[in-house]
Amino acid sequence: MVEIRLSDMAVGGKGKATRVEGTGALRRRMMDMGIVRGAEIEMVRDAPLGDPVEFLLKGYNLTLRREEATNVWLELEG
Amino acid sequence: MSEVLGEDPEVILAERRYDAIARIMESAVRKEEGKWTFTDMLDHVFLHRALGIPLFLVLLWAVFQFTFAFSEPFMVMVEVFFGWLGGLAAAGIANPQLASFVADGLCGGVGSVLVFVPPIFMLFLALAILEDSGYLSRAAFVMDRVMYKLGLHGRSFIPMISGFGCNIPAIMATRSIESEKDRMITILVNPLISCGARLPVYVLIGGALFGAAAGTAVFSMYVLGIALAILMALIFRKTLFKGKPAPFVLELPHYMVPTAKTAILHMWERGKLFLIRAGTIIFVVVVLLWFLSVYPWAATNGGEIIENSYVAGLGKAIQPIFAPFGWDWMTSVAIIFGFLAKEVVVATYAMLLGTGEEAVGDTLVSMGLFTPLTGYAFMAFVLIYVPCVATIGAIWRETNSWKWPVFTMVYLTVLAFVVSGLIIGIGRLLGYT
Repeated sequence: MVEIRLSDMAVGGKGKATRVEGTGALRRRMMDMGIVRGAEIEMVRDAPLGDPVEFLLKGYNLTLRREEATNVWLELEG
Repeated sequence: MSEVLGEDPEVILAERRYDAIARIMESAVRKEEGKWTFTDMLDHVFLHRALGIPLFLVLLWAVFQFTFAFSEPFMVMVEVFFGWLGGLAAAGIANPQLASFVADGLCGGVGSVLVFVPPIFMLFLALAILEDSGYLSRAAFVMDRVMYKLGLHGRSFIPMISGFGCNIPAIMATRSIESEKDRMITILVNPLISCGARLPVYVLIGGALFGAAAGTAVFSMYVLGIALAILMALIFRKTLFKGKPAPFVLELPHYMVPTAKTAILHMWERGKLFLIRAGTIIFVVVVLLWFLSVYPWAATNGGEIIENSYVAGLGKAIQPIFAPFGWDWMTSVAIIFGFLAKEVVVATYAMLLGTGEEAVGDTLVSMGLFTPLTGYAFMAFVLIYVPCVATIGAIWRETNSWKWPVFTMVYLTVLAFVVSGLIIGIGRLLGYT
């Protein structure tokens, strides 16, 4: 299985989260927002200036800076 | 616990929670796969790579048009009403000192503060509508990149831009910024964004001194303000509020049609804070300035000859500080009154020169009060130095301490002296006088 960082995912790409790196408040915040192991995440679009990035997960739209998204690893689907 | 579970308890907790949610979702919610929702369609346009930013700017422009076009007639009404009330009081009260206090101190002073109520409420209404519709989060998403480069957060953009209208609602609008550090920086640099009240001063001085280049001179003040705001934000980020802007983890909610009730409620909740403040601290300062400008009563002939008043004495006393800039005592009095509200600078010159406000510019030139260089430095000084008393009040209320308003006054005054000094110094090096 190929594992990539969420920040490297292309628009339209889908994957299942395998782990969330990082520490403290940011990691907790991301997990509170539903980025947990096994969560399906789809990359929706970049912001007009390339950052932050919008994802679809658990039926809602979440935005993260690329910097935050590097903490999330996932395995690609399809 | 981590060792037993082989993983951080928090992680296990979050995972189990979402497992439970997923099981409930499966049995309870029917999904319509691949169907475009209303929100998807709108986001396709509002967050479009090429259209996203232009649309954001158009919406922003609409917010300001709405705010200032709608509030202007109300502002005139407030001014006229308090002018009428003051005239009524002056005519109806026999004791001249009491009449002056009620007319100029109370009515004039309260009027000069309440005149800000219409734009404040209108801006809050416009922002409430944007927020309730779900667009405000998108605005943060679109602008975060730019703000992040400046050491700020995407959510800082709207308060910063609002400062061009009026710094008071702008500072109050920083409540949407979650991180305390990001919010503090946004509050502290906000007074550098040139508000509408400073424009009359630029127009007066620029128009009198720069002729055809007046527009450029005025515009350069706005650019200077933005440049200084960026510079100070970077400095504060490196010193007082070390660290990076808060992480950007933001949900984009579904778009919704805002309801009038919640929008008006939001507007009122935020706007009433200004009203409370206007009734307390701002009011005290306003009355104090009235006192200083009409006393000693006999010498000023009941507030007629401002040159003999305490405030003129104060102006003359502090004038030596401004002597290196080539400004006389009238300018230092204007600077003192500018604390009330920056546009009062124009009215102060009118009072001191004994001319109508429309003739002030020509009189300033014919009396040789300013050269283009000293006048330009004065425009910069008015942009930067201590913001109006209502803005200081807003900073006091929003930061809940006396420390930050005092800090703001000090740092802005120092910055004003530095920038005006640089303008004069560089100008003289280039051979201007």
